[in-house]
Amino acid sequence: MAESYRRSRWSNGLFVVPYLSVFLTLLVFPLGWGIWLSLNKVDLFGGERFIGLKNYARVLSDPIFGQAVKNTVIFVGVSVPTLVVLGLFLALALNKTTKGSSFLRGVFFASSILSVTIVTLIWRIVFIPNDGLMALIFEYFGWQPIGFLSTTGWSLFSVGVATVWWCIGLPMMLFLAALQQIPKDLYEAAALDNTSRWRVLTRITLPSIKSTIMLVAIIQVVMQFQLFGQAQLMTNGGPAGSSRPIVMYIYEIGFLRWDIGMGAAASQILFLIILCAAMLQYWVSTRKEETDA
Amino acid sequence: MKKLLLGTTAVGLLALAPLANANTTIELQRFFGACEAEYGKVTDVSAAVGECGIITALVNKFEADNPDIDVNVTTVEWPGYDQLNAQLASRSAPDVVSMHYSAMSDYQSRGLLVPLDKLLKDQNIKPSDFTNAAISSVTKEGKIYALPFDNWTMLFHVNNNLMKKADLMKSNGKPVLPSSSDELFAQGKQFKDATGKPYLVQITANETAAYARIFYTLMMQQNSKFFADPSRIDLSGKDAKAALTLMKDIMDKGLSTKNMDYPAAVAGFANGQGGIAVNGTWLIGSYDAQSKQADNPLSDGYSVFPVPQFFKQKDATYADGHGWVVPRGNRDEEKMAAIGKLFKFLYDNDYEWARTGHLPTVKAVIDSDEFKSLPHRSDIAKVAKTGQALPAQVLRQFAIQDILGEELGSAISGNKSIDDALETAQYRINDLLENI
Repeated sequence: MAESYRRSRWSNGLFVVPYLSVFLTLLVFPLGWGIWLSLNKVDLFGGERFIGLKNYARVLSDPIFGQAVKNTVIFVGVSVPTLVVLGLFLALALNKTTKGSSFLRGVFFASSILSVTIVTLIWRIVFIPNDGLMALIFEYFGWQPIGFLSTTGWSLFSVGVATVWWCIGLPMMLFLAALQQIPKDLYEAAALDNTSRWRVLTRITLPSIKSTIMLVAIIQVVMQFQLFGQAQLMTNGGPAGSSRPIVMYIYEIGFLRWDIGMGAAASQILFLIILCAAMLQYWVSTRKEETDA
Repeated sequence: MKKLLLGTTAVGLLALAPLANANTTIELQRFFGACEAEYGKVTDVSAAVGECGIITALVNKFEADNPDIDVNVTTVEWPGYDQLNAQLASRSAPDVVSMHYSAMSDYQSRGLLVPLDKLLKDQNIKPSDFTNAAISSVTKEGKIYALPFDNWTMLFHVNNNLMKKADLMKSNGKPVLPSSSDELFAQGKQFKDATGKPYLVQITANETAAYARIFYTLMMQQNSKFFADPSRIDLSGKDAKAALTLMKDIMDKGLSTKNMDYPAAVAGFANGQGGIAVNGTWLIGSYDAQSKQADNPLSDGYSVFPVPQFFKQKDATYADGHGWVVPRGNRDEEKMAAIGKLFKFLYDNDYEWARTGHLPTVKAVIDSDEFKSLPHRSDIAKVAKTGQALPAQVLRQFAIQDILGEELGSAISGNKSIDDALETAQYRINDLLENI
């Protein structure tokens, strides 16, 4: 028995074939094909012609792409910390075994199950001028109305609010799961020492869930860099492109202008940006851990 | 065992029997909105109102008249070309698709549309049955690529009740409309002072098409040849600056609603939030129906006119149209015959479609008494002559419209200077056209 366990046979590799075939077909092949397309002048319906890195040069010299990158970085820079902090706050507040907190967990998670279309419809009703909720509130107080979806600055903010409302469920649940893994005796010991609640939070709770904080941050960075539906449906990227994210730029180039080669080049650049952001996040977190040690 | 085999075979054949007698199914993909709740079962086309209502009732009626043909309708968000592109790229395009004339060259030039000459001939539909404007819009390289369904343009939809308050009605019951930009500002101010409401109801948020269409109209009124070369746009002249300056001045002087997207602008005019809606032919039927009901802002007070001539050079307005195309794909003769029947039905019912407000494409309908007796048609009749499209050789007209609309919007809202917006629009559009 022990011998057969140790013996390595090539046929054992067959066990990973089902996974590998799916992985290669659905991930590696499309990635490779995407890179190949980005090196070609090609539209949606064929006509491939190899042009080297020209598509990359066109994307990088396009001021609209620069604006989309800036919009997306600002969006990620604001929405991810908000999601992490708000998710953590909700998890801490609802980390109880009462019926009320169970109900509220359901309420806060409920938005996550909605499709982007429903989410944007709801927030359109909130932000739309004249008859929208915000317009009515502003009118009630006699304030000057704001075009939340059609004013530079406010449009990206409005997309951000809808996104945080939509995405808050997952961070909250991940934090709740992590909080429930912390041994109770740590809190009991702290209580015996009459430790303040702030000290318990900063010395016990947060250090115990730091790997989850990093996980949530990386997941959200990757997700929010792919912002698309909310921006397209709420603001169509406007006004003046001030809420156009990178994915919307790729969509416009690929599907409205039919320039698949240039769209693929922009996709590869987005892939690199997300990879770098996630790696940076990981590096910062692990470096801090080493320093602490 | 033998019995079991025979039994199984018999059951299998019985199960397949309905397939043998199955109806021919046409997959039809269209914009014009969804209204299944209101019109899902309606087959009396004359009872339907508005684009969505009439096309839904037309398809229902066709199915009722042709029990051997099913029409599966997929409604796409306007204009739906990104979805069609994905379907064509994956070789799963529907059988019949609604398409703007301005988008057809993109698809025809890549061999993505089926020529319809034979299909129309088999149904005894002759090219000469259609208006010259319509048939020339769908004819490419000597072949017909769509059933022309309508022509449309942007119009001034007028709330006469509010115009009356502003003392802008003539003795013949028609509103006073501007015939120059100076008159536009004077009348707009008079209207605003009297009613406290903006003179124009415009779509200024979350859409680019409205800006581009009005800009094209203003350019055409200056007889501008901004697409003299169909592969390059020229926005460097005084004409482009004059057109955009007029559009910006309207906004800066507070003569227009602000921050309204398309649905808000349509509802805003219906709710009496402004005097004149700058919107398309397709709303005539709905607004006219509203004006015939009591106790609403348009009651007995709706009229509609072409966009006035603001520049002396030419009386012109930008026009486009809708047609039905058949994307490339493998279809048997039976299905093509069913599509032919559907097209003949739509051709025969061009009058019903014209009730939306669109201009009919069938000459016999235009000449008919029933069409002439439709309300407001005499007021807008001249657009048949003044309507003008971009040159058919200009590709990617929808992508161009998006770029242009975005840049015009930037200037109008003050995010960019007029010169900067026009320069950027020209650069972006020419970059697009150079790289097709």
